[in-house]
Amino acid sequence: MEPLSWTGALGTFLNPAFGIAVICLLASAFIQMVLSFTASPMRMQSNADGTLVKRGGFLGMFEQTTQAALWAVILVILGYIAVGALMPYGQAGIIGAMSKQFFPVWILLTVMFVLSIAFKRHLGLYGKLFDSIVGMIGFGLVMFWVFTAILAGAFDMLATFDPLTQVSGLKNKTPGVTVPDGTVGSIPHYLLGGDNLARDIFSRMIHGSTIVVAIAPLATLFAFMVGITLGLPAGFYGGRLDTILSFLANLILAFPVILLFFLLVTPEIVNSPIPTVMAMVLFIFPLIFFAVLLNSRYHTQPAKRTPILVVVLGVLAWLYLSLISQEGTSVAFLPNWFDLFDINSGILVVFVSVVFVNSPTVYRIVRGLALDLRTRDYVAAAQTRGEGAWYVMLWEILPNARGPLIVDFCLRIGYTTILLGTLGFFGLGLPPESPDWGSTINEGRKLLLIFAHPALPPAIALLSLVLGLNLLADGLREESLKD
Amino acid sequence: MTDTTYDGPILEIDKLSISFFTRLREIPAVMDFSATIRPGEALGLVGESGCGKSTVALGVMQDLGVNGRIVGGSIKFKGEEMNTMSRERLRDIRGSQIAMIYQEPMASLNPAMKIGKQLAEVPMIHEGLSESDALARALEVVTDVKLPDPARILKSYPHQLSGGQQQRIVIAMALMSKPSLLILDEPTTALDVTVEAAVVELVKDLGKKYGTSMLFISHNLGLVLETCDRICVMYSGEAVERGSIEDVFDEMQHPYTQALFRSIPLPGANKNARPLIAIPGNFPLPHERPTGCNFGPRCDYFEDGLCNENLPIEMYPVHGNDRHQTRCLRFQEIDWNAPIDVGAQTAKPEPGRVVLKMDNLKKYYEVAANALFGGGDKKVVKANETLSFEAREGETLAIVGESGCGKSTFAKVLMGLETATDGQILLDNKAIQDIPIEERDTKTIADVQMVFQNPFDTLNPSMTVGRQIIRALEIFQVGNSDAERRERMLELLDLVKLPRAFADRMPRQLSGGQKQRVGIARAFAGDARIVVADEPVSALDVSVQAAVTDLLMEIQREHKTTLLFISHDLSIVRYLSDRVMVMYLGHVVELGSTDQVFAPPYHPYTEALLSAVPIADTSITKKHIVLEGDIPSAMNPPSGCPFQTRCGWKSQVANGLCEKEVPPVRILSEGHQVKCHLSDRDLADMEPVIQIAAE
Repeated sequence: MEPLSWTGALGTFLNPAFGIAVICLLASAFIQMVLSFTASPMRMQSNADGTLVKRGGFLGMFEQTTQAALWAVILVILGYIAVGALMPYGQAGIIGAMSKQFFPVWILLTVMFVLSIAFKRHLGLYGKLFDSIVGMIGFGLVMFWVFTAILAGAFDMLATFDPLTQVSGLKNKTPGVTVPDGTVGSIPHYLLGGDNLARDIFSRMIHGSTIVVAIAPLATLFAFMVGITLGLPAGFYGGRLDTILSFLANLILAFPVILLFFLLVTPEIVNSPIPTVMAMVLFIFPLIFFAVLLNSRYHTQPAKRTPILVVVLGVLAWLYLSLISQEGTSVAFLPNWFDLFDINSGILVVFVSVVFVNSPTVYRIVRGLALDLRTRDYVAAAQTRGEGAWYVMLWEILPNARGPLIVDFCLRIGYTTILLGTLGFFGLGLPPESPDWGSTINEGRKLLLIFAHPALPPAIALLSLVLGLNLLADGLREESLKD
Repeated sequence: MTDTTYDGPILEIDKLSISFFTRLREIPAVMDFSATIRPGEALGLVGESGCGKSTVALGVMQDLGVNGRIVGGSIKFKGEEMNTMSRERLRDIRGSQIAMIYQEPMASLNPAMKIGKQLAEVPMIHEGLSESDALARALEVVTDVKLPDPARILKSYPHQLSGGQQQRIVIAMALMSKPSLLILDEPTTALDVTVEAAVVELVKDLGKKYGTSMLFISHNLGLVLETCDRICVMYSGEAVERGSIEDVFDEMQHPYTQALFRSIPLPGANKNARPLIAIPGNFPLPHERPTGCNFGPRCDYFEDGLCNENLPIEMYPVHGNDRHQTRCLRFQEIDWNAPIDVGAQTAKPEPGRVVLKMDNLKKYYEVAANALFGGGDKKVVKANETLSFEAREGETLAIVGESGCGKSTFAKVLMGLETATDGQILLDNKAIQDIPIEERDTKTIADVQMVFQNPFDTLNPSMTVGRQIIRALEIFQVGNSDAERRERMLELLDLVKLPRAFADRMPRQLSGGQKQRVGIARAFAGDARIVVADEPVSALDVSVQAAVTDLLMEIQREHKTTLLFISHDLSIVRYLSDRVMVMYLGHVVELGSTDQVFAPPYHPYTEALLSAVPIADTSITKKHIVLEGDIPSAMNPPSGCPFQTRCGWKSQVANGLCEKEVPPVRILSEGHQVKCHLSDRDLADMEPVIQIAAE
């Protein structure tokens, strides 16, 4: 087998086209920028059919050229991916082969986008997202990694090799290298090369996505639960409670986070009951949250409330107990057949630190929103109806604060992803051989000057996911303001 | 910088059309609008919200934003076409020759800049004056707008002034460069009535003094009558009638103008004998206007085949009047003097037994100076001071007063959101003043309910209308199953005359009037016997106001509800209330039946309030009383009588008694009490404020 080149046979046509398109784009954008200092501004003009059109001689022409060049670049990139996926293996180089590997993801993305755009008028805020180009790009990037994570994690698809198996002779080999005969894998190449322990970088990147996509949103969700349960009463009641809670939040925000991480992962602390106890405290918040939420809503109808509460709390309590009960620790009280899953204490530490770092900021946002919303007449109406404080907070105030909170949630998943990377980079939390992006970047860093290729793929993956989340948040913000 | 050589019309707008462009479609906001303002003339632009009156003003300023565009017609300022003007020329004219005053004074002042500096900027930019000259001019203008201690005001920041003072500063800023045209966009809507009266007076005087032409935009016909020479009535983007004030008010020639006048409570209207006539239907959305006449579907004189023909309707001149025009095809056929078709008359119900009794109710707040550690000096705010009255079953008691008078605090104490400092509230002879709402039983809570002021705030935006009413039913323990409660909810929607389909709508899909109806339905969910209505119609358009008011009255008659109607609008109070209570700085200054309060003898504050309310009727003459200064802060009330700082009658009382002692409550006649030091003779000598001229 021949080693793969980057673009293979496809490159003969597409590489020159790509070069020309990029040069056109840069030149046109530059001329447009220079012209905009001198040329007369464009005038808007209304047409008879009720549309607005921009009119403007030279400047307008170059604006159109820039746009055309941009489309050309995008088309060529799409060409690499689409044609590469359809050509037989090996013909379209590394890019084609990767595109082929991601084929199930492309199908899922296409189906999702077609369905969403077709029904976007019936889907509320989610549907409105598809009115914004920025939002669609962001959502596309995020869903790409979400689908990748699900397919790789749950169905063991996409990845070409086992992420932990070392193949002798492939240490630090460049992308497209051929594997020796007899290696267990679905294709005969290391698509993105091998790392310094001779593992497949492509497969490690894909398996890393599972860890990131599973932990980041969940950890952020917990941070939100804590922030909301504390922020709502602080904003709603105000006064001394607010003062004390805000002071504590400031204190935590002022604490050097890195120091905290190091403290949390020192073996003495990991082996002490502290992480388990912290997890016990932390993970009880969702239970309290849902109990209060449902009770305040249904307390007038005990016949309805009791069964709902029993079912919901029963399931949550089971999850909670399985989560904290662990063999070999002080809280191993659930019998094994009843214990749903065990959580690695390293991941527990990650959760604790993410919640600790993020919840004060969420607290401040929720508190500010509650301070504003509690002056509304519908809150007064609920109070004069004799509603309890928690009903007012959770059913009258919280739903109306959802816009800013959803946007912040997206942004915060991005921060958490980077935080996970940072933790991994310091070797904290996750086991050292874990394929998560932070750890892989850290490993690749050591030989960065000699071999750049092991560090780049996870870094680009991290970048694209966080970028996608930020764009998604932007799109959501933009669309939720329109109505 | 007044250009003295030009003596034609200041502003000529000819067939102006303005559209806004959205992603979906073009939305015409103003169509075929013409108007002329001559030097020194004041033109009033009247219409309901969404009719395009503010868009016209922005069009004149050529400031329509990115989506707005002038699609036809011309605007000439002193003979110069503004639509084709260069940006530099426009910048020259704006602020120096045309000035604009907006609704929210705080939003038009820069909070980080001292008043003097902001004012001085105007002549420094437009006329190149030196800073000291500009400051001298500022001092002069601030004196002109009758602000006390102008030198100190120039050195203060906007937030240190009250709302009324801020609006005077905005007016001063507009006058700094002696403009030839002043555009006022609802300049007094955010102010209290007595402050509004003073500001309006000021604008009128300054208009005369500087010879400025004015474009006065308002939804209040009474205010336009008091300030303007000519009026233009707008409906759904079009001018429907224009002419001189007298012609339009006395010889209206358009059905919309007529309907508008019939839906506002003028003296003579009465909830039993002559109820208001609401305009049927809803204001059309800009992209859903009917063919032919825009007002057609809501018009009493609609003629099929004529009014709904797809032809543009022009402005037809009315012969015999000066520049009086109407956009009605049938104006010559309609008998404009036909007597009003009086709606269903109802007998005045006899008030029943006493259900609510307040006895010497007091509510004080302690305000700590330092929130964090709770130390420092504590100040006592006396929000309610010795409040005593009774309310009977089926009666409407109006509580009148301006902001800060303690009416909202009183409502909070009654609802149980706060507990009283002293005194008693008896509901069916049961004392409830010390029971906070969490400890009240469901029956008590359901009995006392509230309707809120702001229709856009009264419903939870993320819950369906039906769900919100059902929630109230659940809380009040009405019905045994979800199905029963849903049925009851639909009945409540019927009660407030909303279609049952609204149950599944979200509040944002409803208009202001419809939301207010849902609010009323929610209040009556537990068959409330006492309803506190906190300015329920003040944020609604006049035509909708009438409908909502009538709905409230109808429900009240059916359910024998006691209505506590909080308002500052004396016109509507006279129309619907049986008894009136006037409050000032926490004190009840006058209490009596509607007839007693609206006829002399008055409390001096009542007298001033009555005089301040603009009335849209040319046959009415009012005694002119303008109160000096602003309402004192409740944190720092004046000594003695709370009203003594602004009272015009103070000099009649010997020994400065007003400044020393709080006046006692005096019974003038059966059920009529005032809190005043004036002698019986002075009170008896008072003249009525409002007089209807003999026909």
